[in-house]
Amino acid sequence: MKAIKFKNSAAQKVYADYMKRMKRMVATLPSEDQADILMEFNSHIYESTIGSIANQEVDDLMDVIQKLGSPEEVLKPMIAERKLIQATKSFNPFHVFKALLLNIGNGISYIFFALLYLILFAFLFTIIAKMVTPDQVGLFFKDGSFRVLGSVDTATIEKYNYKEVLGNWFIPVMTLISIAWYLLITFLLRLLRPKK
Amino acid sequence: MNSEFVQKWKSQVKKGTLAYIVLNVLNGNEYYGYELIEEIKKNTRIEIAEGTLYPLLNRLKKEFLVDSKWVEQESGIPRKYYTLTKEGKSTLKGMQEYWQHLEKSIKRISK
Repeated sequence: MKAIKFKNSAAQKVYADYMKRMKRMVATLPSEDQADILMEFNSHIYESTIGSIANQEVDDLMDVIQKLGSPEEVLKPMIAERKLIQATKSFNPFHVFKALLLNIGNGISYIFFALLYLILFAFLFTIIAKMVTPDQVGLFFKDGSFRVLGSVDTATIEKYNYKEVLGNWFIPVMTLISIAWYLLITFLLRLLRPKK
Repeated sequence: MNSEFVQKWKSQVKKGTLAYIVLNVLNGNEYYGYELIEEIKKNTRIEIAEGTLYPLLNRLKKEFLVDSKWVEQESGIPRKYYTLTKEGKSTLKGMQEYWQHLEKSIKRISK
């Protein structure tokens, strides 16, 4: 992106600082989106200050920046939307998680998704827990009906006579469930996006 | 007059109609952001907060109501031009119908 050249060095500094804050904000997006957003604001600043004479540049630039608002505020909704598009395209859990965080203020559905995500982390946690304390983690049944999925202390297992039913299959099964759960979340998230 | 109330109400109306204003101004035209703001100011004397325009354009694009393209400039700083899509035009038509209906109704009840 071509930077704007100001005649006044103070204006140059103010501009550089503003663009730096913008860059920091958009860093989470794919590079085309970053460039698209930065170039558009760069163009706006350029078009708004092009006619300024040197000793007016700082005032004019400050005026433009004030009207645009802080990068954090202006960019927030744009980043949230674009991040969501990226997340649902890529299936990358990091992007999906970040997109959910950014969109959590945008409606109840995203809170619901964050909950689904939390459950996913709980599934993944049981896998790790199974490796650490294999005897206390599993899918526990009592008299043929489901009791606990997760971690139970040994005393409780003995007291209620819980039976772990998956055994060595626990990790593979939970891995498959986690993957299926993850795909489900991402598919549902795709449905939220406007379609052409 | 409770001018504070009127002020708040005005800003709510503005916020609610901004998408409608932008779509109308873009109808049949191709503008870049800064130009669009100037056009709105010139034709309506409505001051648009720049900070709300760009997120709005972003949303309109996401909804497939507008399309945009980058056009290189001699200055080396390209402009991003916006136009209405086909869907944008038909959506605007629907909005205009509602607006006319609203206008008539308001007229009928205002004394």
